[in-house]
Amino acid sequence: METLRSSRSDAEKAVAIIHDAGGEIVGKTRLQKAAYILEIVGLGEGFAFEYRHYGPFSEELARAVVVAEVQGYIAQEERPATWGGTYSIFRAPANDSGAVSAVPRERLLQTVVKANPVALELAATAAYLAREGYSNPWAETYRRKPDKAAHFLEAAKELYRQLSSIKTPIALPCILD
Amino acid sequence: MNFSFQRIRDPLHNVIEFPRDEFHDAMWKVIQTREFQRLRRVKQLGFSELVYPGATHTRFAHSIGVFHTARKLMEVVKRYLGDPGYQETKARSSLAAALVHDLGHGPYSHAFEDVGRRLNLTMADHEKVTDHLVREGEVGSALSGLGSGFAADVADVVKKAGHASIYGAVVSSQFDADRLDYVQRDRLMTGTHHGAIDFSWLLSNLEVGEVSYGVDGVAVGKIETFVLGPKALHAAEAYLLGLFQLYATVYLHKTTRGAEKLFSEMLVRTIELARSNSVTKTGLPKSHPIIQFAKHPEKLENALDLDDLVVGGAISLMVHAKDPVIAALSKNLRDRRLFKCFDVRECLYQRLSGVELAEKEFEAACLSVERRLLDWSKENPQGVPHLLIDKPERPIYKTMTEESKGPLDQIMMKPTHGTGEPFDVALVSQVVKAIRPFRAFRVYHEKGDEKAKRVLSESIDEEVLKWKP
Repeated sequence: METLRSSRSDAEKAVAIIHDAGGEIVGKTRLQKAAYILEIVGLGEGFAFEYRHYGPFSEELARAVVVAEVQGYIAQEERPATWGGTYSIFRAPANDSGAVSAVPRERLLQTVVKANPVALELAATAAYLAREGYSNPWAETYRRKPDKAAHFLEAAKELYRQLSSIKTPIALPCILD
Repeated sequence: MNFSFQRIRDPLHNVIEFPRDEFHDAMWKVIQTREFQRLRRVKQLGFSELVYPGATHTRFAHSIGVFHTARKLMEVVKRYLGDPGYQETKARSSLAAALVHDLGHGPYSHAFEDVGRRLNLTMADHEKVTDHLVREGEVGSALSGLGSGFAADVADVVKKAGHASIYGAVVSSQFDADRLDYVQRDRLMTGTHHGAIDFSWLLSNLEVGEVSYGVDGVAVGKIETFVLGPKALHAAEAYLLGLFQLYATVYLHKTTRGAEKLFSEMLVRTIELARSNSVTKTGLPKSHPIIQFAKHPEKLENALDLDDLVVGGAISLMVHAKDPVIAALSKNLRDRRLFKCFDVRECLYQRLSGVELAEKEFEAACLSVERRLLDWSKENPQGVPHLLIDKPERPIYKTMTEESKGPLDQIMMKPTHGTGEPFDVALVSQVVKAIRPFRAFRVYHEKGDEKAKRVLSESIDEEVLKWKP
């Protein structure tokens, strides 16, 4: 299984994430954070992440999605957002009929798919900062993203709690009280 | 306290003044540090001088130009935020960040970073090096003269790790001081006549306004950013078109990229040999800064010892290397005997003319050719690779999506009648809407490499046959 995994192209790895999320992921931020969380709990695809405006971001994943679309593995629909920008919906063949999965990777993705994207961004950012060595990653997240944190930090912590409750090869950083 | 008045003569901005005050005195001290003076020995455009002989300007001159431009942008911020909205401390952090933002660049900047990525060398990443230099060392000390936490604040602005705000937009946005300096300076110094921008008009029409932003489909709130008055629409279009043209003709020029490819191969080989205890094969002495960096790439001091002069000077030693790959590549670079460039996109466009291809289908055809070439290269390895593939892509302007750098990275226009929220320039400009990312697909090979030519030709024939059976 591991050999099979590592021999896949980046595009195929990106498709696998959407596939395991039930065949649809709404938003590039959600896709990026989903891939990041999988990565840090040992269920990822090997994409490298760095800190960007919306928290952990992988250029490799962004490129892989473009290639996957060009190759026809996924479809991307762009829609106007209420705030004036646009957002994307990614679709790929789903892995099952939508039943709740017991597999950790799919359970994580199912949780992420339903999450508020702002809360997800904050939760992923806090995890990233914890791994960077910040002793109080939630406070640092608030400092960096005060406008978002003012309204969504509690939701982010709750989401983090849900994600942490799923048993994974590597536990999420322990940053909740 | 007595502060002195300082001036610098600049080819782009003419006189750049450092008035007699505490802030400018600290900035002048930053310029005198070893780390900043090193930028005199790092060219702004690396190998571009192989194409444009005048492009020998340095990151030193550019950095001071960015600082000067940032002060002009900050005057706009101050005018619009007024008293008590304008925050002097935040403004100072951003202005200082403008001055030091390029401190960490290595020799031949981008080519060196490519080597760093390939070999996972921590201190080849200019952002990491800059972060260390701003927080520590002589620059950190000079900045700390303005307050104990000032150096950390400046580092956060450079790293974009702080709260995104209009002050940060001066250093990082579509209209940041970095870009506004380099589009003008690089045009001037290369001598190209492409890419002219109407800087004075843009600046004269620049204001601060509030725009909405969100994450995916969810609205978050409003943020202050730069907006342009309606009379600057065509200047904004020219600015983006100018960027596109500079990418095509200067930054991603086929010859410059070809030289960078050879440089990367040469340096990767040198570092690998140095790390496998084969320094004697590299042509360099053990004490050479390149060897020291290869042995301990995690040491900041080793990264600081590298600049264009050190690496460029090493080439005359490396031509005598026992390793044939290093000797060959360094001779190529020394004598400007670069590999031949084959433009795969152009060839496919020509060969597939008459076939109705959607953009995605054309990109898929390119990917398919690339895959064949990569597979063949894996099966046919040799010291100096037969094929060096280069596929740069540079989006010139993205409308605001969650993948962009956020609301501060858009060009927002003020409505003509002054009421309503600013809107993205791409909504009203057909020109901006039509600008596609700059993409290239080039393959470099040695002039007489018949194997390379044959596999290129066969790979393209195979793809063309799919569409023109």
